[in-house]
Amino acid sequence: MLKCKINGKEVEVPEGTSIIEAFKLSGQDIAHYCWHPGLSVAGVCRLCMVEIEGQPKLQIACNTQVQDGMVINNNSETVKDVVRWGLDFHLINHPLDCPICDQAGECGLQDQYMQFGKYTPEMAERKVKKRKVVDLGPTVVLDTERCILCSRCVRFTDEVSKTHELGIFNRGDRSEIGTFKDRPLDNKYSLNTVDICPVGALTSKDFRFRQRVWYLKTAESVCPGCSTGCNVNVYYNEEGLWRVRPRYNAEVNGHWMCDEGRDTYKFVNRKARLLEARVGHKDSWQSEAPGSAAKQAGVKLKEVLESEGPESVALVLTGQYTTEEYEAAIGLFQSELNSTLIYHWVNNPESFEDFDGLLLRGDKNPNTKGLLQALEQAGIDRPWQDLLDRLKAGSIKTLVVAGPENQSVFPDQLEKLEMFKEVENLIWLTAGPVEGLEHRAKPTWQIPLKTYIEKAGSFVNHQGLKQSFQVGTIVVSSALTLAEAVTLLAGQELELSAQDQILQQNRKKNFFTETRGAL
Amino acid sequence: MSIVKKPKALSKWYLPGILSGMGFTFKKLVTNLFNPKAMPTLNYPEEHYQYGPRFKGNHVLTVKKDGSLRCTACMLCATNCPADCIKIVASEHEDPTVEKYPISYEIDMLRCVFCGFCEEACPVDAIRMGPEWQTPALNGSNFIYDIQHLAYRPNLKGGIQSRLDDEERHKAGI
Repeated sequence: MLKCKINGKEVEVPEGTSIIEAFKLSGQDIAHYCWHPGLSVAGVCRLCMVEIEGQPKLQIACNTQVQDGMVINNNSETVKDVVRWGLDFHLINHPLDCPICDQAGECGLQDQYMQFGKYTPEMAERKVKKRKVVDLGPTVVLDTERCILCSRCVRFTDEVSKTHELGIFNRGDRSEIGTFKDRPLDNKYSLNTVDICPVGALTSKDFRFRQRVWYLKTAESVCPGCSTGCNVNVYYNEEGLWRVRPRYNAEVNGHWMCDEGRDTYKFVNRKARLLEARVGHKDSWQSEAPGSAAKQAGVKLKEVLESEGPESVALVLTGQYTTEEYEAAIGLFQSELNSTLIYHWVNNPESFEDFDGLLLRGDKNPNTKGLLQALEQAGIDRPWQDLLDRLKAGSIKTLVVAGPENQSVFPDQLEKLEMFKEVENLIWLTAGPVEGLEHRAKPTWQIPLKTYIEKAGSFVNHQGLKQSFQVGTIVVSSALTLAEAVTLLAGQELELSAQDQILQQNRKKNFFTETRGAL
Repeated sequence: MSIVKKPKALSKWYLPGILSGMGFTFKKLVTNLFNPKAMPTLNYPEEHYQYGPRFKGNHVLTVKKDGSLRCTACMLCATNCPADCIKIVASEHEDPTVEKYPISYEIDMLRCVFCGFCEEACPVDAIRMGPEWQTPALNGSNFIYDIQHLAYRPNLKGGIQSRLDDEERHKAGI
């Protein structure tokens, strides 16, 4: 360990640490653009200048390693002046696009201008005009005028995604980021370049102009896109979710996540959701409140159970729910319905073990491990073939399916529906409306479930790491969690948590009692 | 606040008060009959009071030279609005120099408190508060003004042009 002094504060850092990392470790602010903890050092923005005692000139903190006994500061007048001028040079050709720029509100230039701005620009020359709204590929739009050439995106494609699509072209004030001819920025991690861009030069096509970032709230969650279980921040407002961005976790995803995972907000929003339970069959469908529909289905289930015995009820689970829900559902199924016919629906057995070497895994369920663990705990190990045999024999009268939350990764859903066609009663628990279920001729219950952002729980990822998350926001408030749905199916009543009870009481009293002081 | 006034001795008697009051009324009646211009009141529906041109009344969205909206949908007015009455939906414009524009811009006039913060927040002189203030309507939905009303209502005669000019700004290197 090396000892150094940063702005008068004693800091102990491991050998090989750069000064900027030591600043971060000691929790002190330092201006920077091009340095990113997940990428190599470029040293091009010249903003992280520090004064080191005994050295005549200022040094850049990102490319200087800490040595024993170093005395470093970045709050002297010299350093402040250099940072001010450095920032002013960055702004020479930067357009005044903030009103139409998507990055406004989370922009490195805006933030640091408030701190180190010169406020009286001394440039008399005209700004150099460059290309705007350049289509880089299927996901990213480039604005070369706004780019400050920090080269983070170039380093990302070189070092992390290793696809080498981006480069810096031309020289001097005409240099700009770009792609090579006939090679668009098209890889599975391309949107990370948008995240790491400190200005608004790279913007995401999916999020572009949809919302202003200062209207959005953030919730921490775990990506349900595949079994890697990347840690994410979900951005939402009262209308629903708008985007998903990675959150740093050294053990799981580092700083990155894939583009597929960023689409996981789409099936959560109201447009893609089942808002009310649908009960009936091909000729007559009725909408009902989820709770009462689940209760009705429970009554039917009990009836069948009494007349046909416990072997007539089966449960099919997908790897898309939380461990807590699995434990509750399997437990209730065993204790209340005396059935051990619980099966695991594997959506893509051929590509289940795939791995692209960075983050993406073939198992598109966040919690397959959790499900297998819960099944093992309950002592249930039934192959899929067993269910097929029983279906063929017609011994299963009622089938409860905890269908996929993210239906886009279940290409075999229609095929499975075809298999379940002959079952007498089908209770399908799902977040979104299921295509093909409308044409079923026999009694069916479609009961809406909550999605990952609307419930607390934990996912066990492919490494066996259990990651817990909390409720972020509620999109469809009447929807049930899997545990609640199975409780109602088993004929039990739901218990309100203490927090829910308080909320309900408050709502009864007056809206303003809840929000008093905030108005 | 209520001020308690003790009744004066004279007002115990009914007639003196009535007579002095009626006398004042008749004096005004006679002066108004012979000199109606000195009347401080207006015959409202027929006569309107003209406020100064800087009066901050109903909003106007300004237009560019070609008649398209000046607004860039930056949502600063909506952010600054204390009454939360502005609702904007932005979209991508096919012209890369425009880039972003509002496909829907709605102001709920029943929520608006006419504070003028939207005008102050606007970086491109796209929203102004005009001298209009008497805008009755038959039901609540008529008070939600859309782009068509805000920028192109008939009395604006094709829209009010913004001071800012994009071409000039580009030439000046901004």
